[in-house]
Amino acid sequence: MTTIRIAGVARAFGAVAAVRDVSLQIGDGEMFTLLGPSGCGKTTLLRMIAGFCDLDRGSIHFDDQRIDTVPPHRRNTGMVFQNYAIFPNMTVARNVAYGLKARNVPAAETGDRVGRALRLVHLDGYGERWPHQLSGGQLQRVALARCLVIEPRVLLLDEPLSNLDAQLRVEMRSEIRQLQQSLGLTALYVTHDQEEAMSISDRIAVMRAGNIEQLGAPWEIYGRPATPFVAQFMGTTNLLTGQITATVDGRTRVRVADQDFLVGASSAAIGSAVSFSLRPEAIRPLREGEAAPPGWAVLDAQRTRIEFLGALTRLDLALGGGGTLRVATIGLPPQALGSERMRVAYDPAGVTVFA
Amino acid sequence: MRFASPRTAFPLGVAAIAFAFLGLFLLYPLFNVFKASFYDPTGTTLTLANYAKVLSAAFYRAGLTNSLIIGVSATIATIVVGVPMAFCLARLPVPGKPLLLALATMPLVLPSFVGAYAWVLLLGRAGIVSQGLAWLGVPGVSIYGKPGLILVFTLQTFPYVLLPTLAAFKAVDVSIEEAGQNLGASRWRTFRLVTLPVVMPAVLAGGLLVFMETLENFGVPFVLAEDMPILAVQAYKLFIGEMGANPASAGVMGVLLIACTSGALLLQRYYLARRRFATGARGAPPLLSVGRGWRMASAVFCWGVVLLALVPFFAVVVISFMKFRGPVLTWTPGLDNFATLFARSQQPLINTLMLASAAAAGATLIGVPIGYVLTRYRSGLSHVLDVVAMVPFAVAGTVLAIGLVISFNSGWLILTGGWLILVLAYLVRKLPFSVRASAAILHQIDPSLEEASINLGVSPARTFYQLTVPLMAGGVIGGTILTWVTVASELSATVVLYSGPWATMTVVMFQALEGTSAGIASAAATLLIVVTVVPLALVHRLLKNRDVSVL
Repeated sequence: MTTIRIAGVARAFGAVAAVRDVSLQIGDGEMFTLLGPSGCGKTTLLRMIAGFCDLDRGSIHFDDQRIDTVPPHRRNTGMVFQNYAIFPNMTVARNVAYGLKARNVPAAETGDRVGRALRLVHLDGYGERWPHQLSGGQLQRVALARCLVIEPRVLLLDEPLSNLDAQLRVEMRSEIRQLQQSLGLTALYVTHDQEEAMSISDRIAVMRAGNIEQLGAPWEIYGRPATPFVAQFMGTTNLLTGQITATVDGRTRVRVADQDFLVGASSAAIGSAVSFSLRPEAIRPLREGEAAPPGWAVLDAQRTRIEFLGALTRLDLALGGGGTLRVATIGLPPQALGSERMRVAYDPAGVTVFA
Repeated sequence: MRFASPRTAFPLGVAAIAFAFLGLFLLYPLFNVFKASFYDPTGTTLTLANYAKVLSAAFYRAGLTNSLIIGVSATIATIVVGVPMAFCLARLPVPGKPLLLALATMPLVLPSFVGAYAWVLLLGRAGIVSQGLAWLGVPGVSIYGKPGLILVFTLQTFPYVLLPTLAAFKAVDVSIEEAGQNLGASRWRTFRLVTLPVVMPAVLAGGLLVFMETLENFGVPFVLAEDMPILAVQAYKLFIGEMGANPASAGVMGVLLIACTSGALLLQRYYLARRRFATGARGAPPLLSVGRGWRMASAVFCWGVVLLALVPFFAVVVISFMKFRGPVLTWTPGLDNFATLFARSQQPLINTLMLASAAAAGATLIGVPIGYVLTRYRSGLSHVLDVVAMVPFAVAGTVLAIGLVISFNSGWLILTGGWLILVLAYLVRKLPFSVRASAAILHQIDPSLEEASINLGVSPARTFYQLTVPLMAGGVIGGTILTWVTVASELSATVVLYSGPWATMTVVMFQALEGTSAGIASAAATLLIVVTVVPLALVHRLLKNRDVSVL
């Protein structure tokens, strides 16, 4: 149906560059997420597509039609706002019918389409309710129905779940994903929640200070972060910096404070500084006498903290030089960990090295 | 700002209309007042002679100093009354607080010269109270002169200080005070060093409003100053005397008035620009527990001030239902005063109702879109518009009226002698209020509602009329009624601009004051009070559940 093509787009507010030279293409029927901390430019980019923010440079196309010069009310995008933006002076049905009225859809057809849209978001029978009678989750569904009913070319979602409680958030995000996939809509989703982004998206662009830091599928971004920023922003990680001391069997030995780590092959010269990311869950605690899998590196360290989180147990290990190595493990009760001195193992091939 | 962008067409259109309107009916007339003050009587040579002439006359210099002395004294007095009262209402258990607060806003909207006249009925030479006092052996108590003026102004304008200060006291984060006391400061020391500085901007903002109002008020000094020269009255008398000739001296007085008020306004902006008084309090601070003595004292103080401000209005209503024999009150009840008033003509009442309705509707029609553009489209242009739309605050009604007469009594557009010039003057004068009121309402409407509407395919202009206006309706109607009320009791521009068939209730009252028909004056005063109080009660009901600041 619609592909979005963003080419060389930039916008500054006074001296602050909100978006600097961003180019990307969103495929037909794709759920694409802009992810980043507040102030990274993700909302500005979304608002540019909706037409609420002018471009300093660049262009935006829907398929072959240039739309950044089209006024916002003629772009036929459907936007879901962070605070839902449900018109408080209209019933649910009138809210949903609002966009159809603007398009001069006949009354009978409007009634049909509103009914269908409300069924789609599981709100049939709520048409005559007033917004103040609805819960946050229900308001969010009304907002969705109001967008879907106009059959928009693209669906724009601006942190739509951030005002909901945790459980509802998880429920709604899978519902949004299902709707988007079954309707085959091209959607742009903005969030600062990395878990939400990974669960819902086909592809993610991690943004920072107006630039795209990395673009890719969720597992690529999590598993192979392109920069230390991405590694730290996507979940928790051990971000370590050290000096290359040797190359052994296609692996690189890095000395961090007075602890040696093995990482995958690196082209950097011996003696040069390097940083790398080692995910906590990629480190496996070894039981008393247990052997490490072949090819894995083993560390012997002092445990300083145990945090039992139910499904997950977090451990802190003391590194030489005062550093801490974070470890996360599944299904391991604390008492099974043995003495405070313990061994852990990791696969050097799973370590991400930053040049 | 991109002028070609379709998103800016609507705000640009509104701004263009606003600038055209304010340019023609505010800036151009003011420019003509300035021009008149700097040209010689033939209107051809630039000169400072007019200023030299006015400022060398002791009578006019006295007008300036009297006005400033009264303005500054009234400002100090309102702060002395208003700040403790705000503290009592914010932090002490004063009985009947909601009613007290509702009553405390009344003096701002009740017609000030009616209040002044009511004081004359009580404390004038033949006043009921002063005669009673003379009978008791305390002669010579009189409301006339400087002390009387300062008293009346204080009682009429203290809400300007009270209301923002009260809001500021309520916004003080109580943890700031607790922190102060926790660090070992006494209650009084904490108040002086921690709380007071936080509310100070609100106090001064209110105080400067009092100063400007006092300086430009025409009716109160007209009633109470007698022969004492006062700037606003002098400008009026000079202009009426010079009508048809060159209004140079009146222009000079006008410029002096504008200089004083805009000086005060600039001072306020300068001071407020470097301070913020919000401390991010989550809820209003709790009431203090104080002894019975303090509770009694605060109740007597708060209720005393409010009643003292309102009793004259009540008295004048009662008196208007008594018979007069000439200027002498007889204490016999009767409707004679109203009969006489209406026998002469009902036209002024009709005029007042019609002119006020036209002006209130007009001010809303122009003010709401301006308020909308100022709130929703921040840019360099909207900043300029903001400043221009606030100019009428600093311009006395008399001066604006003089400017309008000079500008539109000849040439391509002749307005003098008709009703339109009155409506235009009211419109311009009330515009800042209407703009600020609608901006205040808009701040409570989430902008994403409008974006949602535009996103769904409705153009920005249609979104404004189809979505925003209905959302604003309650507040806008309230604001319109308040505008209506203040227009209905407007005097200072009206006396300069009205012509025979378009005399209003205030003019009737004004003429009755000049003559000796106290009965008619009191009846007219009662009518004006009714015309004020009834709509106010309506507004109060309308805005009951809204947190809209209308001041």
